[in-house]
Amino acid sequence: MSIAYLLVALGLGVLGLAAWALLWAIDAGQYDDLERQGAMILEEEGPADTPPGAGPA
Amino acid sequence: MTATAASHARWSLDDGRHEHVVFLVEGMRCAGCARGIEAAVRALPDVESVAVNLATARVSVDWRGAGSTGLAQILAAVERGGFRPVPLAGDAASAQFQAERRAALKRVGFASLGMMQAMMYLAALYGVSDIDASMATLMRVTGMIIVTPVLFYSGAPYLVGAWRDVTNRRLGMDVPVALALLLAWLPSVVNTFRGTGDVYFDSVGMFIFFLSLGRFAEMSVRHRGLTSAEALARSLPAQVARLRADGSQERVAATELRAGDRFLAPSGAVVAVDATLAPELRPDTVALLDESLLTGESTAAHRRGVERIRGGSVNVGAPLTLVAQAAVGDSTLASTVRLLERAQSERPRLARVADRAASGFVAAILGLAALTAAGWIHHDAARAFPAVLAVLVVTCPCALSLATPAALTAAATRLARLGVLIAHADAVEHLARIDTVVLDKTGTLTESGGAVLDVRLFGGLDRASALATAAALERRSSHPLAAALRAHEMAGIVAQDLREEAGQGVEGVIGGTVWRLGRRRWAERCAEAGVVRALPTGDDATTWLAGPAGLVAAIDIGAPLRSGARATVDALRALGLDVIIASGDGEVAVRQAARALGIERALARCTPARKIALVRELRRDGRRVFAVGDGINDGPVLAAADVSCAMGTGSAIAHCAADLLLVHDGLEQLPRAIVTARESLRVMRQNLGWSLGYNLAAVPLAALGLVAPWLAALGMSLSSLGVVLNARRLAGRTP
Repeated sequence: MSIAYLLVALGLGVLGLAAWALLWAIDAGQYDDLERQGAMILEEEGPADTPPGAGPA
Repeated sequence: MTATAASHARWSLDDGRHEHVVFLVEGMRCAGCARGIEAAVRALPDVESVAVNLATARVSVDWRGAGSTGLAQILAAVERGGFRPVPLAGDAASAQFQAERRAALKRVGFASLGMMQAMMYLAALYGVSDIDASMATLMRVTGMIIVTPVLFYSGAPYLVGAWRDVTNRRLGMDVPVALALLLAWLPSVVNTFRGTGDVYFDSVGMFIFFLSLGRFAEMSVRHRGLTSAEALARSLPAQVARLRADGSQERVAATELRAGDRFLAPSGAVVAVDATLAPELRPDTVALLDESLLTGESTAAHRRGVERIRGGSVNVGAPLTLVAQAAVGDSTLASTVRLLERAQSERPRLARVADRAASGFVAAILGLAALTAAGWIHHDAARAFPAVLAVLVVTCPCALSLATPAALTAAATRLARLGVLIAHADAVEHLARIDTVVLDKTGTLTESGGAVLDVRLFGGLDRASALATAAALERRSSHPLAAALRAHEMAGIVAQDLREEAGQGVEGVIGGTVWRLGRRRWAERCAEAGVVRALPTGDDATTWLAGPAGLVAAIDIGAPLRSGARATVDALRALGLDVIIASGDGEVAVRQAARALGIERALARCTPARKIALVRELRRDGRRVFAVGDGINDGPVLAAADVSCAMGTGSAIAHCAADLLLVHDGLEQLPRAIVTARESLRVMRQNLGWSLGYNLAAVPLAALGLVAPWLAALGMSLSSLGVVLNARRLAGRTP
């Protein structure tokens, strides 16, 4: 049964990795705007060079 | 992002004797917090009034200027109370929203990961009898390792909030929540190290997840309300690049711009103030502007030369150099924004009632938890602990205090989308209950300018020259008629020796003969002796044109009905409302309008006093009156009604008495606004009923030990989530 200890430790490691990835993604702005990025392919040029959230409404 | 005094939305209407500020507050979660802030600010000298709105997280303060109290003292008082004031204007607020949203999302995400994992490991302890002791310990330890960071990261707002409440000696909503979290977590840790007994890590994780989720939803509604109702306010740039005389640039706060300053408007940027193109630009420069924020018109407007570019429009063309025509505070946009701010910082009556109930609630829960503990310890000590946890967790004062504000915020969002702005917090409730509409005619049902409605000719002249003759006679007159006729002037027809006869009309000489324009009896007399024609009679709104051959034309001048007037009146009646016209205009014009609109009750020649008397009389008969006027002449009438709506724009609106504003003169939005108000009131009632019913039903069950702590967590979160989602239903739908 000692394999269980290893598996639990591995599981915790993967969990930590997942949590870190999630927090990183949110901080990097991946979740700030879930609609606009999908429509970006329809725009002629890339988005205006305004920082996220600071452009005109 | 420091809260410096300069970046706050503050203003004074009387040169600094009274000042006003609105700012956002971070960390305010419950009615208790709101009262704490109110008390802290009110304790300052010279403060006249403080309003804290929980749903929109805004604080609005009025104080007497020139005393010892300034904005800095007010902000400091809020900070001493344990809250962080955040300026409302421009980028600072949107950066604040973004930071708040990301933090909340991280908490929800982290809690959901932790909750699921903890559940997987700890499920092994449920009902499985043959698990050996070392494995059970492994599962408990793993659960602890996962849930402890969740508690102190995702649950941090509750722990910090409760600590702040306790140190400030008040009972906020976070107190029972934090108590429950710690009460579940601490014994679990102890039991883990002892290697025996129950652990509640999975319940803690689940509780935190649902709490964070509920709060995230609530925050989204609040932000969404702000983003649409105040896209206006927030879109104004906080800073602009001003040009010095030598052409170099400096960044200054938009509030520092004065008339005459030159500044840059990059493409894609919002123009901060009313402005014109700078003279040094090439004379054929055309500015392309999106004015949809102001007018709702989405095609770009072209502005050339000295044409005014309105503050709040977006420069969609090339970068421009502009000359400011007014300071930020004097523009239409700024006045509208102030009104919105005032409305959003007021707390409506229904919400105040709910707040009072919610604050007593927390004390009651703590008492009830103590009673439950005492009862169970006598009866069955082993079950006391889960029962107390369930009581603390299952009750939800937040649903109660969110019920009304969530619905109102959603209603405001939808109304703003219709072009109807709420200027007073109670407007929605009143609007939902009205049964009578009193409409002004001029400027409300009709266009504001006059126009030639009809010309009847009696021989001698064609239509164009009759109108041109009349226009020539009215040339120097200030009568409203003159403005309507001016469009019909013709070169070559010029009147001399113009003479005005008071109350009768004008006389002048055109081409050597005498012409008169005015009342029939008087005009007729300019005809050469013996020329009297039998003609149809007109009414008192008809102007007659007469020359040497007697009467030649009858001109009807009036204001044409707005295009949507008939449809609006029909829709209002379809809603079961009585529609009454009360106008200062003459009998005929009013009767004509009433007939065209199918309105039975139309009062003509109403002085403002008469209109007020009408409104009072209606209200005495038990009717709830909705008055609609142009907002300029009707101030007292609007104030006398239960709820009122003003049409129009301009800086005058900031001072007007109306509860609602129609920003784009879109009369046809009124019936939709009423429908929206009725729906919001229904949603408010549903919310209040639901949260009260939920609490009344859940508490006894929890006290009797029939609700497991995890189920309590689920119920509590679902009850506030239900309230928020029910309100959100309102914001999403278009009527």
